[in-house]
Amino acid sequence: MTVLIVLVALAVGAYLVAVLESWAVHGRLEPARPAISALALLGRESLLARTPDRLFFEAGPVVLLLAGLLAVAVIPLAPGLIVTDLATGALFLNAALAYVLVALIMAGWGPNGAYAMIGGWRFLGQFVAYAMLIVMPITAVAMRAESLSTVDIVTSQSTLWNIAYQPLGFVLFVAAAMGLCWLPPLDLPTARGDLAGGIEAEYTGARLAVLRLARMVLIMALAGATVTFYLGGWLGPWLPAWAWSAIKIFFVAGLMVSVGRLVPRVREAQYLEISWKLGIPLALANIFLVGVITLVVPI
Amino acid sequence: MTPQMIFLMFFGGAAVWFGIVVFRTLSMVRSALALLFSQTAVGVMFLLMQAEFLGVLQIMMMATEMSVMAIFMVMFMMDPGGMGAMDMTHQKRLSLWAGGIGFVAALAVIWLADWGPANLQIPDATEQTAELGRELLGRSMFIFESAALMILTAMVAATMVAIHPSEGRKR
Repeated sequence: MTVLIVLVALAVGAYLVAVLESWAVHGRLEPARPAISALALLGRESLLARTPDRLFFEAGPVVLLLAGLLAVAVIPLAPGLIVTDLATGALFLNAALAYVLVALIMAGWGPNGAYAMIGGWRFLGQFVAYAMLIVMPITAVAMRAESLSTVDIVTSQSTLWNIAYQPLGFVLFVAAAMGLCWLPPLDLPTARGDLAGGIEAEYTGARLAVLRLARMVLIMALAGATVTFYLGGWLGPWLPAWAWSAIKIFFVAGLMVSVGRLVPRVREAQYLEISWKLGIPLALANIFLVGVITLVVPI
Repeated sequence: MTPQMIFLMFFGGAAVWFGIVVFRTLSMVRSALALLFSQTAVGVMFLLMQAEFLGVLQIMMMATEMSVMAIFMVMFMMDPGGMGAMDMTHQKRLSLWAGGIGFVAALAVIWLADWGPANLQIPDATEQTAELGRELLGRSMFIFESAALMILTAMVAATMVAIHPSEGRKR
């Protein structure tokens, strides 16, 4: 039952965020657009490239979808409304999201096309940039909660949300999360304009529909993770718990899909340089600060 | 035979099978990802044996490591896609002997070692994580820190080897 509720919530959320993304891209609010695009994609022929690695070509979008769904499984939407409350939930989230990289390498390598392959390997470089900035802020969050369970992490924020407790971690995590779901300005593996769609270049029809759906699930998973780790999850006055989760997740997802479009695309080398020379020292400083605050001031 | 044991055998079989696939395919990417799925199956075996932290960690780390290995194999091998049907194996006799001896040695250790009585009181996942933390930051800290330093040195050395000397100057 819980699984069903979470899946329906995920579908509704993904649809709304898709509407918001199309508004951010095209400047018009068209509520039917994602449905029309999906129908159009499903109606089209799904072409197969010449001499593909068929196994990877077919598996890529599916693995991506599975990775997103597994990540969603440890995100609590309300007390008791979580697919599985693992004792290592925060680590499990990382484990699921690591397979995004595997899926994109498969999707890039599979079709035997230059643009797709460059897109896939580019994401590997992008991974090297964002990976530490996903894990290290989560470390600081787990330090405060003294637990890796996502439910415990939410309840640890009952007096003060982590966005106020560790704002540095929040900024780093959201930026890294945008890198993980290749949202502009970090859309290097698809890179419209210089890679002709990159990993999406050789996918058409139903396969492309799965790939795009998987990316939406991924965005929802990371918005959910941001809310769980930094915005107090379901906590909030007056409204019921699930409503707070929904509002916050929609807000964060909306922020992720829209704001980045105001900035020009970052080059791969720049992204790596910023991440390693600025991001990682800041993340270490964040861990140190949170450690000191946790030990000195009990909030 | 409990369902746990059946799943354990299934994933053990999967780990071995994907290990064989590593050598059966000519594509370097397939080979690397087959090794990944072999290691993921080992991670699932950890989960089945109720070592939650270790299982999740294994599943997470291997995805990254094998993907990075894939790109190195694509860079350095002459026929990374396997489409030229090049045979990239060598020293087969030596490898067979080394593999065979390793296999027999592993079996000998498994059968002959005194493993002590099985622990029937499995601590819950939270307690396991805490105990692992105490172990890593206590008794085993020196070992892990020195291993970390060695890996870091190897990484720096590998990067130095990979960079062409003329590209060393600041752009």
